[in-house]
Amino acid sequence: MPERKRQTPRTSERLGRMLAIVPYLVQHPGSELKDVAAAFGLPAAQLRRDLDLLFLSGLPPYGPGDLIDVDVDEDGRIWISMADHFAKPLQLTRTEALAVYLRGTELLATPGLPEAPALARALGKLRGSLGADALGDGDGRIEPSPEGGAPVHLTSLREAAAAHRRLSIEYFAASTGEWTKREIEPEEVFSGMGRWYVVAWDVDADAERLFRADRIRSLEPTGESFRPRGLQGAGRDLYSPTSEDVAVRLRLRPDARWIAEYYATTDVEEQADGGVEVTMPARQLGWVARLLLRVGPGAVVIDPPELRDEVLRLAAESLDRYRHKT
Amino acid sequence: MGEGDRAEPLERLLNLVGLLLETPKPMTFEEIRRVLEPYGQSNPESAKRMFERDKDVLREFGVPLELVDVDVWGTEQGYVIPKDRYYLQEIAFEPDELGALLVAAQSGGQDPAAEAGARKLLYGADGGILAGLAGGPLASGSDARSNLVHAAAEAAQELRRVRFSYRTSQGQEGERDVDAWAMVFRGGHWYLVGSDRDRDDVRAFRLSRIVGELADAGEGSVPPERFRAADHVQSGPWVAAGDDRATVLFSPARTWWALSQFPGATQVGTDDEGWTIVELPMADEDATAALLLEYGPDAVVRSPASLRDAVIARLEAIGA
Repeated sequence: MPERKRQTPRTSERLGRMLAIVPYLVQHPGSELKDVAAAFGLPAAQLRRDLDLLFLSGLPPYGPGDLIDVDVDEDGRIWISMADHFAKPLQLTRTEALAVYLRGTELLATPGLPEAPALARALGKLRGSLGADALGDGDGRIEPSPEGGAPVHLTSLREAAAAHRRLSIEYFAASTGEWTKREIEPEEVFSGMGRWYVVAWDVDADAERLFRADRIRSLEPTGESFRPRGLQGAGRDLYSPTSEDVAVRLRLRPDARWIAEYYATTDVEEQADGGVEVTMPARQLGWVARLLLRVGPGAVVIDPPELRDEVLRLAAESLDRYRHKT
Repeated sequence: MGEGDRAEPLERLLNLVGLLLETPKPMTFEEIRRVLEPYGQSNPESAKRMFERDKDVLREFGVPLELVDVDVWGTEQGYVIPKDRYYLQEIAFEPDELGALLVAAQSGGQDPAAEAGARKLLYGADGGILAGLAGGPLASGSDARSNLVHAAAEAAQELRRVRFSYRTSQGQEGERDVDAWAMVFRGGHWYLVGSDRDRDDVRAFRLSRIVGELADAGEGSVPPERFRAADHVQSGPWVAAGDDRATVLFSPARTWWALSQFPGATQVGTDDEGWTIVELPMADEDATAALLLEYGPDAVVRSPASLRDAVIARLEAIGA
């Protein structure tokens, strides 16, 4: 049936958006188009197209005086009238209420977010208001449990990403244990595995890189701004493969299996003892050697042999320290 | 082809919502047809089909479109959208709370429902919040599938019993019957905490280790009085905290890093080689030893002796 095709998800998506945006516009006459578009997460041009459609809707008898009137003036401000029936948004569905609550909880559980106290209060009000139907009646059924420290420069990173400002940072390279100075163009700050990261263009390497916010010791704007390349943060693999990667092959006993959950691995082969054999790409072997020092006999290096030697060398050097230092 | 087919579906849907919100009494389909042009097309069959589809779309969206008796005698039924069920109730958010919700809305994750929900809450927000958002963009990430997170959260809220296939951190896979009690987010992972029926014990299950979907297995049970979900979730592999304290020497190169990685660690001095003397909290000796081993020759435990011995023993096991 031809009509069926026309009822695409796009229509329902746009409907949902309008039922949220129109109430905002009614409550805030003269809002700027670009601000509203940014807050509701759509391109300004799309918002304009959606607003144009509003002209055609209204209430019976649908005469010129019954239709919603939208005007975007030369300053890009939006004025709306005859839309009082949409002055308040549609109730949140149960799924939406739960999703907001879950998303908020995820943010709260990643330490260092300056908005955390306000967000916690907002979620409390949401629960109080939407009540048992949407969010259950039990307190503490969904809770954040933050652990670890808060990165010092989180707020500055977010500001720089929002304003497209290039930064000069001092960054701790865990692979070598050294501090490096780099210029980066930060695009998105995001959390993964309970930590904050920033995805950025590394100006010196001329490549996309991920930086852990807690490894940045100092940070300063260079005064230059940049054009974002659209680098994506959330949901990505926390390791970006490069052509210089060494394929590290490891056999992990059950007690060292967690390594396969925390690092990007390929060619996973389950073992009879509940362990697993994996290939882990690594640009540098230094940090892998230290990781293996930690799990000891829980991991066996199959390849490359120089990694095995490096672990032995580190263990010997560490023992030597213990003999000379107290 | 009637005229209705040419009209934008979005416009038709907006008009239908407005009409049924404002109508003083429930409207029959015939009445709707007379008023709303797109349904007034010549072929009543296809008009009715279009209306049925539109109803489904709106209901899917959570629009409370109801079919009720038009009069007390119940001879005729009509459609209406009750205002008290349609409109979001007033929630007295403070400006900073709305700002925080906007951050949550914009923190793109895998779940579009979170974004849609948070944006609905913004209608009362100050214009200033939209223009001058303090922080800039953020995103949150979890390693579990969002439909599974939703299913588990609903089970916990309704205290349901669920059945699922689970692979332990040790790699063993098996069926579990669990009375769902709570959800905890820690270290980037969602956990379902509840009573494992076969083991008769409270356990935490990381959602990313659940294979397949959750199956509802009937009514669950009520958690005990002093139940605290977070107590049952293990810490991640990079966390050490506790009441005991250890004294550890760190090389100058690694000191800053170590201090930032052990919350509650304090620098108490330096030794004659310029190494930093750090006191750090410790709950579990094994866990602390493991964390310190990653520092290799850049960390030396001074006390307690048992921790020092544990690190040395693990280093010797590597060379053996």
